[in-house]
Amino acid sequence: MSEKDQYKNRIELLQGTLDMLILQTLQWGPQHGYGIVQALRLRSGDVLQVETGSLYPALHRLERQSWVQSEWKQSESKQKARYYRITAKGKKQLASDLGRWERIVEAIGSVMYVKPEESES
Amino acid sequence: MKWFPSFGFQRRKRELQEEIDAHLRMAIADRVARGETAETARQAAAREFGNIPLVQDVTRDMWGQAWLEQVGRDVRYALRQLRKSPGFSITATAMLAVAICANSTVFSWIDGTMLRPIPGARDMGDLVSLQRGERNFSPTPPFSYLDYRDLREQNHTFAGILAYHHDWIALTGNAQPERVYIANVSANYFDVLGIKPLLGRFFLPEEESRAVPNVVLGYSLWKTRYAEDPAIVGKSIEVARHPVTVIGVAPEGVVGAMPGIREDLWVTLDPLGTDEWRMTHRSGGAVWLNVIGRLRPGVSRGQAAQDLDTLMHHIVTAYPDQHLGDNRITLDPMWRSPFGANGYMAATLPILLAFAGLVLLLTSANVATLTLVRFVSRRRELAIRQSLGANRIQLVRQMMLEGAVLSIVAGVVALGLTSWTSKTFAWFFPANAIPLVLNGNMDHKVVIGIAVFSLLAGMLCGALPAWRSSHAPAIEVLKAESASISGGSRNRKLLSGLVVAQIALSLPLLLCSGLLLRTLRNLAGANPGFEQDHILTASVGLNIAGYSNDETQLIRHKILDRVSALPGVKVASLTDWIPMTLSHKGEDAYPEGYVPHPHESLQVYHAEVSPRYFESLNIPILEGREFTPDDDEKAPRVLIVDQTAARRYWPGQDPLGKRLRVWGRLFTVVGVARNSTHIFVNESPEPIVYMSFFQEGYETIVQVKTEGNPLDLAPAVEQAIHGIDSRLPVFDVRSMRECTQMASSFAVIQSTLAGMFALIGLVLAVTGIYGVVAYRTQLRTHEFGIRMALGASRVDVLRLVLVQGLWLAGTGLALGLAFALGLTRLIARLLYGISGNDPVSVVSVVMLLGAMSLLACYLPAHRAMRRNPVTAIREL
Repeated sequence: MSEKDQYKNRIELLQGTLDMLILQTLQWGPQHGYGIVQALRLRSGDVLQVETGSLYPALHRLERQSWVQSEWKQSESKQKARYYRITAKGKKQLASDLGRWERIVEAIGSVMYVKPEESES
Repeated sequence: MKWFPSFGFQRRKRELQEEIDAHLRMAIADRVARGETAETARQAAAREFGNIPLVQDVTRDMWGQAWLEQVGRDVRYALRQLRKSPGFSITATAMLAVAICANSTVFSWIDGTMLRPIPGARDMGDLVSLQRGERNFSPTPPFSYLDYRDLREQNHTFAGILAYHHDWIALTGNAQPERVYIANVSANYFDVLGIKPLLGRFFLPEEESRAVPNVVLGYSLWKTRYAEDPAIVGKSIEVARHPVTVIGVAPEGVVGAMPGIREDLWVTLDPLGTDEWRMTHRSGGAVWLNVIGRLRPGVSRGQAAQDLDTLMHHIVTAYPDQHLGDNRITLDPMWRSPFGANGYMAATLPILLAFAGLVLLLTSANVATLTLVRFVSRRRELAIRQSLGANRIQLVRQMMLEGAVLSIVAGVVALGLTSWTSKTFAWFFPANAIPLVLNGNMDHKVVIGIAVFSLLAGMLCGALPAWRSSHAPAIEVLKAESASISGGSRNRKLLSGLVVAQIALSLPLLLCSGLLLRTLRNLAGANPGFEQDHILTASVGLNIAGYSNDETQLIRHKILDRVSALPGVKVASLTDWIPMTLSHKGEDAYPEGYVPHPHESLQVYHAEVSPRYFESLNIPILEGREFTPDDDEKAPRVLIVDQTAARRYWPGQDPLGKRLRVWGRLFTVVGVARNSTHIFVNESPEPIVYMSFFQEGYETIVQVKTEGNPLDLAPAVEQAIHGIDSRLPVFDVRSMRECTQMASSFAVIQSTLAGMFALIGLVLAVTGIYGVVAYRTQLRTHEFGIRMALGASRVDVLRLVLVQGLWLAGTGLALGLAFALGLTRLIARLLYGISGNDPVSVVSVVMLLGAMSLLACYLPAHRAMRRNPVTAIREL
């Protein structure tokens, strides 16, 4: 797959879903920025590719809102990296984001899967 | 250059860099582990990461501190831009500083006088000045003690009402008596004002009307005469040769309740028990108190006035004979209190502030023109920044910041200037007998004012050009063509508009200053109806120094005799009033047998003058006779009326022998004097009655007609008076000319400031039009070269430039004229001997501005005409 195709197959992230994805990723344990990108890519089967230009602003914004906390730690590969950890407040936010997400998916679903004759009546 | 050396910010920036580095290192390590070479891995990781500075930038935006850094960057950039063109920066800053200073100076005067009428008093907004009868400037005190007490005790709308009577007196006890200003005050005086004593105490309610010889010293008197003696309370001092006990000292800055007038010490209403008569009567000489009230919270001035009016109505019904004349009560906020100086201030200072505001507008327009011209030449820079991704808001912010930097610097300069100019207000008042404490004041209100003025100026001169320039489409500008650099039609229109505005704003300033200057000349040249040259006046503090009545009369006669005998003295006389010194005395006077209507006030001015007074001032006696030495205390009371008084009381009749009732006593008219000026040259004639000095005189002022310069005689006159009794206080020794200057001091203030403002306006308008015409002409050099090469003559080029400039000037003049004629209506009250649309003034001002504009256009036109067409064409 060429790089161009790869790019095409990516899904543009819905606005606001990046926060939710990051928080969800951090549910599995503290992680650094690079780790978050890798985790999201792996779990989405290479579909979700987070731009660093979106990731770092989002992380710093989440930290400012006290949904995550950060600290400098040694990584497995003896690298010094900044690890982000989800806070209790962040978990609450994640729950509400998830609820909202599910409602949107449901709403979109009910629009998309309606039978044609029903919509006309 | 570090503008915001915030430690945390720098640390976080470093950490972000490390975070990104770590990210890249991990990405490279992963790729190397997958088998890529180090070099390709590094490149791929960097490509994947993207634009590192951009990521840093957008991430930093999240910190919420980003604006700080941005502002820091913008300020740095603005400063760099301004440093690059020092000529513009210095000119613009200086102009703005002068304009802001003009505003803040006038504002500091308003602040120091109108807004701080009673220094030291709390909650000035609740204080109101009570006036009985019609409103006029510096009226005589309106209330008797009994009326005041009834109003104070029976009202439902005031937290407190105080009364005071301003006077002067001599501090005796030392070798030389010293004249000081004193007030008889009600016991609640300081309480109502909300002033606490610095030392000791103030008066007690039970002391108010009893003969308790207690005195409260003012701070400056305590400091100068008693050397800040901390144990002064309880000590006895001598006032007018009576021992009185000091019970307290007022705090620093407290000068009493009459706006703009200083009081040095305070006593109760009848401290020696010698004034029982005026404490127990309701009319005539017993009407002697000025009254100020403090409104209860939530009570409006209208409600309070109604309350007092009702009370006064009851009082009038109960004592009708003591309340002839107008008894309706009006209340004024202290800033325009008719008592003291504020009435005059309120008539002058707001108009000056309006003029200063015009100057600020004008200056902003001028700086905006300069800025615009600069921005037009910076269009390429702006276009490049725009195409590199700056959005319009950023550009506008950037340019407004340049305006803001200019105006902030100008504001700081103005702050420094104003701290000095605010104190120049006192210069306008010549030395005189009134203890004026008028001056500007520099406090937080003025500083806030300066900030507001600067902000306004910054907005005006930054925002407009910035918005306009940022509209420029980047592509067009980047095509380097002189035609497009000239700024397009929109900028040209804006520039023209600004020039027109400057001329239109400066014309009213010029016209007003012209009218005020001519008013001043008319005032100086007007004949006041009495002789001002070769007259010396000197006050003798007879009654304030504690002499008995018989002693006083004897000394007065001796003074007349001795001063008359001095060589160089033509005529000597005594009076208790000098015309045109902002002071006057008024009293109700009714013709014998006349029953006034309710609220009909027949108040007249009165003055007590000795024999030969009219002769020494060259005021002709038209009918009857002057006073003679025989018109003394034993003789029947006599009067001389002026023409206005004669016409008012006995229209169409011969006033001689008629009788007038004043203070309940009948005075017979023995003469009619020609009208003369009482307070202001431009006053409407007020009736005055002259009484005989030896019958009713109170103050003693010697008035000497001399052969030569009156001041040469001053030492001899003083010596002659001290020859009678060396302890006689003699003060205010001045020539009549010096005394009467007081009457024109407000006209001097108005015309001086209007003149200065107009000069600034003229310079700004002319430099504005010059700048724009010169700039446009320079841009069209190439075009002119082609025109001339194609056969246009030099005169054609000259005409081309001139017509363009004069069209602007003409439009500005037409607009300005309409504006000016509207504005002069506002100052009509201040004018004398000239109307607001005086054709000579209007024409000369228009001609002056027109001629200066022509000159301003001619210079660049001439330069363009002289260019060699060949070099002009080559120039791009």
